[in-house]
Parts: sequence; C-alpha cells; structure tokens
Amino acid sequence: MTAVRVATEGVRRTFDGSQVQSIAEQVFAAMIDDDPSTLVLWSGAFPELADPLEAWVDLTGSWTGRVALNTERATAHDLSRALLGMAPDEPVDDGDVMDAFGEVANVVGGNVKSLLTEVGDLGLPQVAQAAPPMAGSVLHELRMSWRGRPFVVVVTAAAE
Amino acid sequence: MLRVLIADDSRVMRQIVIRTLRQAGYDWSVTEAPDGAAALAAVRADEPDLVLSDWNMPEMTGIELLRELRAAGFSTPFGFVTSEGSPEMRQAAEEAGALFLIAKPFTAESFRDVIEPVLA
Repeated sequence: MTAVRVATEGVRRTFDGSQVQSIAEQVFAAMIDDDPSTLVLWSGAFPELADPLEAWVDLTGSWTGRVALNTERATAHDLSRALLGMAPDEPVDDGDVMDAFGEVANVVGGNVKSLLTEVGDLGLPQVAQAAPPMAGSVLHELRMSWRGRPFVVVVTAAAE
Repeated sequence: MLRVLIADDSRVMRQIVIRTLRQAGYDWSVTEAPDGAAALAAVRADEPDLVLSDWNMPEMTGIELLRELRAAGFSTPFGFVTSEGSPEMRQAAEEAGALFLIAKPFTAESFRDVIEPVLA
C-alpha cells in the first residue's frame, strides 16, 4: 500500500494503510474477539452491502477527515452482542447497537488520529445508514472480513 | 470498599470498563455518569475514591471535568480511559492533574498496571 504523507504544522507523518489494518485488528482482538483470525482482509469479490450501517468519527484540526466503519446492519448487531458479552441469539436493541458500533468507530478513529495529527479534535461517534457526504479523497479503504461477513474501514481526507 | 465513578457517554464503554475492573480483580462500588457535567455533579454530591473518565463527552469533556474538579478543590484521584493515547494527550492529561491515561483498546492487565500504583 502506498504511504501518504500528511503535512501537520511542518511535521510530516507517513500514514500507511497497513497501520490502519493493524489498528482494526488490535481493536477487534481486544474488544470483540479473543481470536485474531476473525478479522482478516476480504479475499475475492467484495459484496454490496444490502442493509448497510455506518459508524464514523470526524477529525478536525491540522488534519481534517473521517474514519468510518461500514457493514451490514445484522453484522453490527452481532458485533454489539460480542462487545456486550451477550449470547448470539440474545436480542440487542437499536440503542445498544448504535452505542457499541459507534464505540468501535471511536476507538479505531482515536487510534488513527494518534498516528496522524498532533493537534485536533476527535468528534463524537455517529451511527446511521450512511454518513453525510464529505468532499474529500479516500486515503484507505480496507475491505475486511469479520467472521466471514463484509466489514469496511474507510479513512477519508477532507478536501481543503 | 473503594468507590469509583466512571464517566463515559457510551453505555457500552462504561460496561466494558466495569467488566475489565472486575477482571482485574477490583470489586469496587461503581457509579456511572454519561457526561462530564453529570460526573462533576456526582463528585460534588459524593466524592468517590477514583474517577475513570473518557476524554470526549458531550456537555463537558473529560479534561474540562478534571480542570473543574481541581479548580473546585477536589484532589480526587483521576485517570483517563480514552480512544486516543497520543503523547500530546498524555501530556495534557498529566498537566491537568490526571494520574494516568489508559488508551483503548485496553486489557485487565493495563488497568492493573496503572491502578495498582495509585492504590499503594
């Protein structure tokens, strides 16, 4: 993956897609699954999400952009159950899903921010079918598989 | 029994912190606050032995909460549990009077590593 240099108040930091992948893997391993093999890069054609749910955090300051997670709504439900230590068939309400999925985006976003920028703000996590469009360029789009289900991590740099 | 106040706008995160405290062997009495303002009110009402706070919260952030507490004369032991663990953030936390900053994702061990010295 190509490294993208981000100028930050005269200090250059390289920002590598493999670092984002590493963050995602660590977050999942610590918060969701004990088994690190459950989150891997997707192999083969990536399916379109039929009932998508997006969780994102916006970063502002010397670097402006967004870290977003995209998956199927059902997958977000299972993710929330895993995070909350619930049984696979236990009902989980929408509020808890938004909270849990948002928190995963918060932790991934916070860790990406630590790589990127020296000063700036991490916004509060939001969850919706889709985030409001943000003019900018996608720096990294990681198409991953969580327990065999499609899961995308997208880092976007806002247009200046 | 020690009393801890956990401040985080994410109920999920509060549950995870509580779970991790238990896993770390800390069977404390827990109070929860969903934002900095509620946490400040909770400390004023009944000062706990320790505050574990997120950084980003609506109403009042964790760093604002800490500064308000110190300004009001509370020397309550305070630690951050936050999704950012950058050196800059750690420095700001330390300067404001926090005893530690635990970055998410965390483990029971990382809790023990920072809390044990505080208990001593």
